[in-house]
Amino acid sequence: MKRDEWIGGIVIFIFGAITVLLSLRMPVGTFRMAGAGMFPLCLGILLMLLSSCFLLKLLLKGKKRADEKEQATELPSSTRQLVLFFGAMLLATLLFNPFGYPLVAFLLMLALLRILGIKRWSLNIIVSGATAAGSYLLFVQWLQIPLPKGFIGL
Amino acid sequence: MIESFQHLINGFGIATTFQNLSYCLIGAIVGTIVGVLPGLGPIAGIALLIPATFGLNATSAIIMLAGIYYGAMYGGSTTSILLNVPGETASVITCIDGYQMAQKGKAGPALAICAIGSFIAGTIGIFGLVFLAPPLAEAALAFGPPEYFSLMVFGFIVLSNVTGASLLKSLMMSIVGLIIGTMGIDPVSGDPRFTFGSIPLLGGIEFVAVAIGLFGIGEVLTNVEKPQELLDEKVLVPRLRELYPSVQDLKKSFFPILRGTGIGFGVGLVPGPAPVIATYASYMVEKKVSRHPEEFGKGAIEGVAGPESANNSACQAAFIPLFVLGIPFAPPTAILLGALLIHGVNPGPMMISQHPELFWGVIASMYIGNFVLLLLNLPFVPLFANILRIPKRILLPLVILFCITGMYTVNNSVFDIWMMLLFGGLGFIMRKWAYEGAPLLLALVLGPKLEVAFRQSLMISHGNFGIFIDRPVSVILLLATGLFLIVPMARLMIRTLKKGGER
Repeated sequence: MKRDEWIGGIVIFIFGAITVLLSLRMPVGTFRMAGAGMFPLCLGILLMLLSSCFLLKLLLKGKKRADEKEQATELPSSTRQLVLFFGAMLLATLLFNPFGYPLVAFLLMLALLRILGIKRWSLNIIVSGATAAGSYLLFVQWLQIPLPKGFIGL
Repeated sequence: MIESFQHLINGFGIATTFQNLSYCLIGAIVGTIVGVLPGLGPIAGIALLIPATFGLNATSAIIMLAGIYYGAMYGGSTTSILLNVPGETASVITCIDGYQMAQKGKAGPALAICAIGSFIAGTIGIFGLVFLAPPLAEAALAFGPPEYFSLMVFGFIVLSNVTGASLLKSLMMSIVGLIIGTMGIDPVSGDPRFTFGSIPLLGGIEFVAVAIGLFGIGEVLTNVEKPQELLDEKVLVPRLRELYPSVQDLKKSFFPILRGTGIGFGVGLVPGPAPVIATYASYMVEKKVSRHPEEFGKGAIEGVAGPESANNSACQAAFIPLFVLGIPFAPPTAILLGALLIHGVNPGPMMISQHPELFWGVIASMYIGNFVLLLLNLPFVPLFANILRIPKRILLPLVILFCITGMYTVNNSVFDIWMMLLFGGLGFIMRKWAYEGAPLLLALVLGPKLEVAFRQSLMISHGNFGIFIDRPVSVILLLATGLFLIVPMARLMIRTLKKGGER
């Protein structure tokens, strides 16, 4: 947790610094006639200041509690499951246009259910098929929303 | 005043014709369905159904679209409570305690109090409109860029105080949101900013992508990462008698509803993203006046009742700047403005006199719409609450599919889905590092308006920052902002000193 706080603070500081650098590449102007870069430049500086305060606070806290040991008894998290789940979402987005909505909806549901531990293929196929068909009827047929048809042409 | 009342009665006459009543009912039903579908909010709902109103007269069309707006707002609260997916920014605050209530088996009372609170707010709001609309609309005209700037800064500080345990973290998230909000075309000079040569980024970051990403996808990913045993953990599903609020719940919600209504109406009249600021302000007030502020964020019914009433009340009042000034200040009202223009109505100071049947008809239909929503939604509470019975292993993929579909429908763009996934990943990391998403989201919405107000103010004053303290309304808002910043810091310092003294 402590390490996360440090990483978070540093990432935000870097984000602020990058904003400042990129803003300086734009016309900044004066306060009287501000350019496109003025507002983000002010925000970047403010963010760097705030994140510095945050990091300083962590440093002071760290010194005070140097003798306190962190005791964490967390259950093991499913990082592999998370990576697969997010990966399936990315792949579905990639295939959204070429495969078309109904097919992507079916395959995405099939993959996500499997990743989350629905091991019975029959149940998995029924739920995925029903969801894909239901959402297709709802969005495409009823609400008349133009979703990608893909190579299957539906 | 009597004249306004007479106009309102005429408005009820117009709104209760069979034709208009039917459109109001259709709007409320479609709106609720659209709002309940995660990913589709009032913006998408109204935008999608504008073509369906082409064959109607202007009054019926706006009555139906306003019904969709209200229905979707209510539906958005439903998904906020049940799935932690806000349909639009105004329901972000409902997620905080509403979702916690649902996790504790109190989804029914949370949903019911939303409908009851909204109805009461609507009832009081209609009287407020009749008596206060004309003078307050004039007062709102006196707001210039410095006042807008100070009002928005006030909104950020209030919000940063409301959310999360750390004021510093919330403030940092607000600034990150403001920076993200600067992406796209500069509103003053027209120069592209932070677009990295991408054409879709010229239009800025789509708010819906950030909202669904941070809250919807972020929540799902957090659940997916949990150990297998926790994924099988059942959410408490209420028994039938627990589906509606108890007398105790109603008692607890009574004053928050009244306060929320007052706050919402007041904020709604001020041009700006009223429902958003109103819900945050109401939540803040409820937390401050509560005898048990520690319960907020853990499922306090006051944290749902106040903001939901404020939301409804602000939506109602926000029609005044839209109709009277002809300026929309929030995406849904912007789309409604587009619909008005399509139907040949040009909102502005002359609208009430030129189209009284439309103005008062729509005002009356809002009240009827609220009543229809109450009738519709209370019986459906058990149905909505049953969503929680679906096992998480099936519910999570379903939410993802609806989020992706909903996101695509906003602009028919796969780029928006990528953005949503990016912010989903960010939302997941933010949860892990205990950063709040709400300040970022509000900053993203307010950012462009804040920047324009800031730059216009400095242009008016020739670069002199004194303009923000020379104007009375602006200085009052800035002083209030200072108080909101200083009080928590002073409290923290006193607590630290006390602790030091005890040692």
